[in-house]
Amino acid sequence: MLLAVAEQVLNGLMLGSIYVFVALGMMLIYGVMHVLNFAHGALFMLGGYCAHLVFTQAIGNYALAILAAIVMLIAVGAVIERTVFAPLRDNLRNQVIASLGLVLFIENLVVVLWGPNALQFRIETTQAVVSLGVLRFRVQHLLIIGVCALCVTALFLFLQRTRFGTAIRAVAQNPRAALVVGIDVVRVHRVTFAISMALAAIGGALLGPLFLLFPQMGDLPLVKGLAGILLGGMGSIGGAVVGGLLIGVIEAVSTLVIATDYRDAVTFTAIVLVLLLRPQGLFGVRTREEA
Amino acid sequence: MTKIVRRAALSVLAVGAALAGFTPIAAAQDRVTIGVLTALSGPLAAPGRFQMNGINLAVEDANAQGGVEIGGRRYQVEIKVYDTRGNPAEGASAMQRLTTVDRVPVVIGELSSGVAAAVAPIAADNEVPFILTVPTGPNLTKANNRWLFRVNAHNDQLSQALADFISRQGWQPLAYIAWNNDAGRGGVQSMSRLLPQGWRIGYTGFFNVGEVDFSAHVTNIRNAGARAVMLFMDEEPGSLAIAQIKAAGLDVQLIGTLAMGSDRFLRRLDAQRLNGMVQYNAFPPNAAVPRIQGFSQRYRAKFNEEAHGFAAQSYDGLMVALAALRAAGSATDARRVREALTRIDHEGVTGRLRFDAEGQASPPVYVTQWCADGRRRILYPADVVADCGAG
Amino acid sequence: MRAFEIIGGLLALAGLWALPQWGELSPYVLHIATLSAIYAIPAIGLNLMLGYGGLVSLGHAGFVGIGGYAAGLLMVDAGWTFWAALPAAMLASGAAGALVGALCLRLRTHFFMIVTLAFGLILHAVMNNWEELTRGPVGLAGIPRPEAIALFGAEIAFRRLPDFYRLTMAAAMAALAVQALIVRSDFGRMLAAIRQDEVLASARGVPVMAMKVAVFAIGSAIAGAGGAFKVSFLRVAAPASFDMLESINIVLIVIVGGAGHLLGPVLGAGLFVAVPEALRVASAWRLVVFGLVLVLLMRFAPQGLAGLAADAVRRLRGKGALRAPGHA
Repeated sequence: MLLAVAEQVLNGLMLGSIYVFVALGMMLIYGVMHVLNFAHGALFMLGGYCAHLVFTQAIGNYALAILAAIVMLIAVGAVIERTVFAPLRDNLRNQVIASLGLVLFIENLVVVLWGPNALQFRIETTQAVVSLGVLRFRVQHLLIIGVCALCVTALFLFLQRTRFGTAIRAVAQNPRAALVVGIDVVRVHRVTFAISMALAAIGGALLGPLFLLFPQMGDLPLVKGLAGILLGGMGSIGGAVVGGLLIGVIEAVSTLVIATDYRDAVTFTAIVLVLLLRPQGLFGVRTREEA
Repeated sequence: MTKIVRRAALSVLAVGAALAGFTPIAAAQDRVTIGVLTALSGPLAAPGRFQMNGINLAVEDANAQGGVEIGGRRYQVEIKVYDTRGNPAEGASAMQRLTTVDRVPVVIGELSSGVAAAVAPIAADNEVPFILTVPTGPNLTKANNRWLFRVNAHNDQLSQALADFISRQGWQPLAYIAWNNDAGRGGVQSMSRLLPQGWRIGYTGFFNVGEVDFSAHVTNIRNAGARAVMLFMDEEPGSLAIAQIKAAGLDVQLIGTLAMGSDRFLRRLDAQRLNGMVQYNAFPPNAAVPRIQGFSQRYRAKFNEEAHGFAAQSYDGLMVALAALRAAGSATDARRVREALTRIDHEGVTGRLRFDAEGQASPPVYVTQWCADGRRRILYPADVVADCGAG
Repeated sequence: MRAFEIIGGLLALAGLWALPQWGELSPYVLHIATLSAIYAIPAIGLNLMLGYGGLVSLGHAGFVGIGGYAAGLLMVDAGWTFWAALPAAMLASGAAGALVGALCLRLRTHFFMIVTLAFGLILHAVMNNWEELTRGPVGLAGIPRPEAIALFGAEIAFRRLPDFYRLTMAAAMAALAVQALIVRSDFGRMLAAIRQDEVLASARGVPVMAMKVAVFAIGSAIAGAGGAFKVSFLRVAAPASFDMLESINIVLIVIVGGAGHLLGPVLGAGLFVAVPEALRVASAWRLVVFGLVLVLLMRFAPQGLAGLAADAVRRLRGKGALRAPGHA
């Protein structure tokens, strides 16, 4: 039994790493712009499709395809930020609704353009399998974890050590004061959105080859990632990482003791319990709540 | 790239035309319109595509033969297609529109049993026959609805032969991985009911539509010591589940559904991983039966892929509707069409179709198995048993 | 001015009542109008919570489902009439709302949103998985339409669409009336005080937590009524009718219609049911277009349809420059 638990913990960490990746970009936008961008999962999916398009139709080089997907998504993100989120800056509720409208728009546009069937995105070099005890994982999955760790570290260093990172943190803490001390808030928002889009593109392009590309591929990871952010305490990178991994572990371990059709119910009950005991999340700091 | 650009341009034109209220110029010939319900968007859009392929091919075939002759006049066949998104309320609205605005004499299609349950009473209200071609919930045709018919086999019919086969092979303990929806849960229910009393079930793992990681289930199946795994799901999650089971090095007998017996499925995986897997099938596309071969060839010529069971069933659904119109001698009188349906005896591509008192047909069901070379053999029924290359 | 509104309202009512009589009017239009009313009822419940109480619940469809399944099971398994099952359904979902509210109303803003989303998912899982009770994903079929009643000597048979349409219209009107009464009562004023500044309201003696739980319970009970009408209309209760997408749809209905406006939920429900229906001709593209419509509405009509209508009325009266814009 103990061995089975250990195995499931490992399975859960692997699954949770994917939730972390989806959560990361969403958390960044939330932290800086205080927007819950529900379209992040759809944009994640779009990143995967873009990479697939470039890979199969143009260059056939995976790294370059990811790079192209990043560029494409940053462009898409720039349009969305300027036409939807920036004009709605002062209306949080409407931003949420607009982002839900974007989900409908993007997912169904992908169905129209690429068709509803899942696409296979085969990268031969990462198909190999690595053994960890009796469990085996694909190289692609380890690649995702590596890149995710790299992105978390880079993001952390960027926010803590660079001038622009400091400006972003200042805007996150208090946009008005940031404006007063001469920070270009509009530019900070645009750069934040671009970084988030780049993360979505990398995530989608990496997840595609591990499983499949399909229009709803971002939906479930988005909800789970969101739950992870919340569990960790909104607005902290470390919290998002731990929260996402924890959700994966709860999901996997719960299959040992509870009927699997109640797996999500178990996960969300756990979240509700944690929040009732610690309303600010596991790592959140109790602040005066915003309106 | 160009394909996508072209499709985008075409679609924009199509929307423009549709929004502008464009209607094709009426030809001299009479037309009869059949209503179609399917999912064009949402998570069921992929199986919806196969359903529509079958229906479109049927329309084309019927019109290529000069249309359908009803009451001494020839009619061109047209279809009116509405999207249900897999949502019961949406399906009910679509059925209401087909039966009262478009006034079609018969409606075919639908994918989800939950949606079908909300749609069927509207058909009865407005007295228009409704022919299901994919949903598999056994209770749908037991609701005492005289206007509901089903050409495809339901879960109990599909699972029967396979359950016999599993019990003869002594594959226990058996494990399930199943979609947590009507198809998956219904499949598990039917199979568990049809296996001999006390058959050991090692593990049952349900997953939500859209989930792609099966590692937790695979680990539990190994720890349960299951000898065989039955997968109740569509082709796409099925390919992922098998890939993950094989990557984990599990030595289990794989058992699948009709979605897992096609060349398309082979392309998603490979012969080595599929070797030995058995599945029930409603339409083994390579069987040495003329009606099956004929359909497979026409389907491949038009869509450039192997025929799918949902497509064949839906093809038959439309053809049965046309046969009923012909027998009723009326392109508008839905009552007479229903009467004709109760007496119909149609040689379809899936087999001989007749409806019982509940409106349920009993098309043949097959059990097929993957060979080492990526072809399939037929194990059941006895009269079409054939070796590799036939399934 | 007041008289103008009352006369307009009565005319609209008479028109809606007479709709089935308009000659060749298709049953399809009645069907769509009925469905709009059925979506409007839970949206009115949510409008009380969201528009007037500031509580954005992403699990509202779960409570619609509790009402729907309670009514359906009582009618199918226990043989109750619709008229007995309806109040029972409202009681069940209201009680569930009070319970969930007492648990999660301590949480604020996004935490509250996600926890309600979690409850919605849990409720959906129960409806889908508890096959012995709910019949699982294929749904609980065979739910009847309401029993006929005699009124002034005439029999009203609700299994017929025109009469069922009138019933749901009346139910939606009743929900609207309840909403108006609540908003204009002391309860409603206290709710507004909490929404604007909770700390201040609390300091002035408003029992904040009790008020919030109360509005959550009332909103859920109204949702339960909507659920009872929905399953009776569709004649099946299926989990797909009460999933997360439906929850999000109800939130969209309230906000697009105009949260915190009395008529907002009705306008929103009309838009939500009618626009995708009108776009049926452009089948594959209709949700793409609909998504775009949502984004544009939020961009150019941030107060929703009701806000848009209020602006238009104000402009018609030439007072646009004098009035302050509607509250946020």
